[in-house]
Amino acid sequence: MKRTSMWSFNLNTASLVLIPAAVGINYIGKLFAGALKLPLWLDSIGTILAACLAGPIVGAICGAINNIIYGFTLDPVSFIYAVTSIGIGVAAGILAYKGRIKTAVGAILSGLVIALVATVISTPINIGMYGGQTGNLWGDALFTWCTASHFPMWLASGLDELVVDIPDKVASVLIAFGIYKALPKNLTVLYKNDQKIERLD
Amino acid sequence: MIHKLDPNSKIIYIFVANIAPALIGARMATASFILISIVILTIGKVLHKTAPMLEFSGLILLTVAIIQGIFHQGNTTVAFALGSVVFYKEGLMFALGIALNVINILMSFSILVLTTKPSDMVETFVHMGLSPRLGYVMSSVFQIIPQMTKTMATITDAQRSRGMETEGKLKTRIKAFFPLISPVVMNSLISTKERAIALEVRGFGSKQKKTFLNDLQKTRYDDIFRFVLILILILSIFWRVLIWLK
Repeated sequence: MKRTSMWSFNLNTASLVLIPAAVGINYIGKLFAGALKLPLWLDSIGTILAACLAGPIVGAICGAINNIIYGFTLDPVSFIYAVTSIGIGVAAGILAYKGRIKTAVGAILSGLVIALVATVISTPINIGMYGGQTGNLWGDALFTWCTASHFPMWLASGLDELVVDIPDKVASVLIAFGIYKALPKNLTVLYKNDQKIERLD
Repeated sequence: MIHKLDPNSKIIYIFVANIAPALIGARMATASFILISIVILTIGKVLHKTAPMLEFSGLILLTVAIIQGIFHQGNTTVAFALGSVVFYKEGLMFALGIALNVINILMSFSILVLTTKPSDMVETFVHMGLSPRLGYVMSSVFQIIPQMTKTMATITDAQRSRGMETEGKLKTRIKAFFPLISPVVMNSLISTKERAIALEVRGFGSKQKKTFLNDLQKTRYDDIFRFVLILILILSIFWRVLIWLK
């Protein structure tokens, strides 16, 4: 069977209804992480899952809509961070399409790559908005230490973001991977657009 | 009265409130826009609803003030000292600039967010040219999240009644995360299939041009409001040009 390109994208109804569900999963992840007082955000599980299911473009749309909704309800600053979420969705989609997220080890390595992408995009925003901080306790402690030892701002801020992003994204990809494997086949096949479907209309 | 303004006007306000201070380049400008936003929010009787947002960002801003006050790289002038910890003026002023910017963004968005129904907001975006399919996606998020929060509460109760611990050491709490999140996620993903079928059956995928249920309503206040905003924007551009010419 011929595989179409990963960028081929038909926004069919199945992928469209996946987006609100993914945003909901992001929200629930963040809520549970908060309720259990975990030191991570875990607010991109849905984006990563949607990217694995339906490719980088749907992943990017999920990321963007996620942050737009957050901006409208909890924290307007998250509008600007939509760029980061888009990056996460695209990276996860590409990695999944290339077949990197098929084993637990692959999921961990993909988590590292996604964390790196997120850091590269977030750091300039952090510097512009908050003078380099992220608001996470551990990251900001490292930032303080770096600034006190006269590291350049971009390095201090980048490390601040990276130290939070690595455990967060690795955990998110692992969770998304676990869920993806447990999903019934007749559901996952709905979003796959890598195979030609013959239509009779 | 604020609630009746066209969402478009509020979007223009957000735009002007964040661009004009950047053009003028003075902290006073940012501060005055915060003040204007507070006045508008008070007229709309929604000022108290900004508290959770402010609390959320306030904590970060506080740590920014402390860290920059002590460690900012341009620090030279001592402002005050608490015991052996010295705060510097440059760092504190830097933190003040950040705080003003963040609060300005928060307040200006609050006007749109707190005085407009989410469904109206999405409809405005569709009027402005967003694809109706994406409009559906956005408005359905507002429906799906309360639904999922409800499922989440049910599942937490169910797992707790089976003896799962959700409090205690970090390890226990990490362990609790999986049995809590996976049923909610599975549930919602499986129901997307049914939703997709239900939508298709009702002609969601049809290529016909969609019509609107409600027309946009513009009041006289909208015209005045927009006129003032555009005037402010033009004046601030003028101001910027004057500074450059000097």
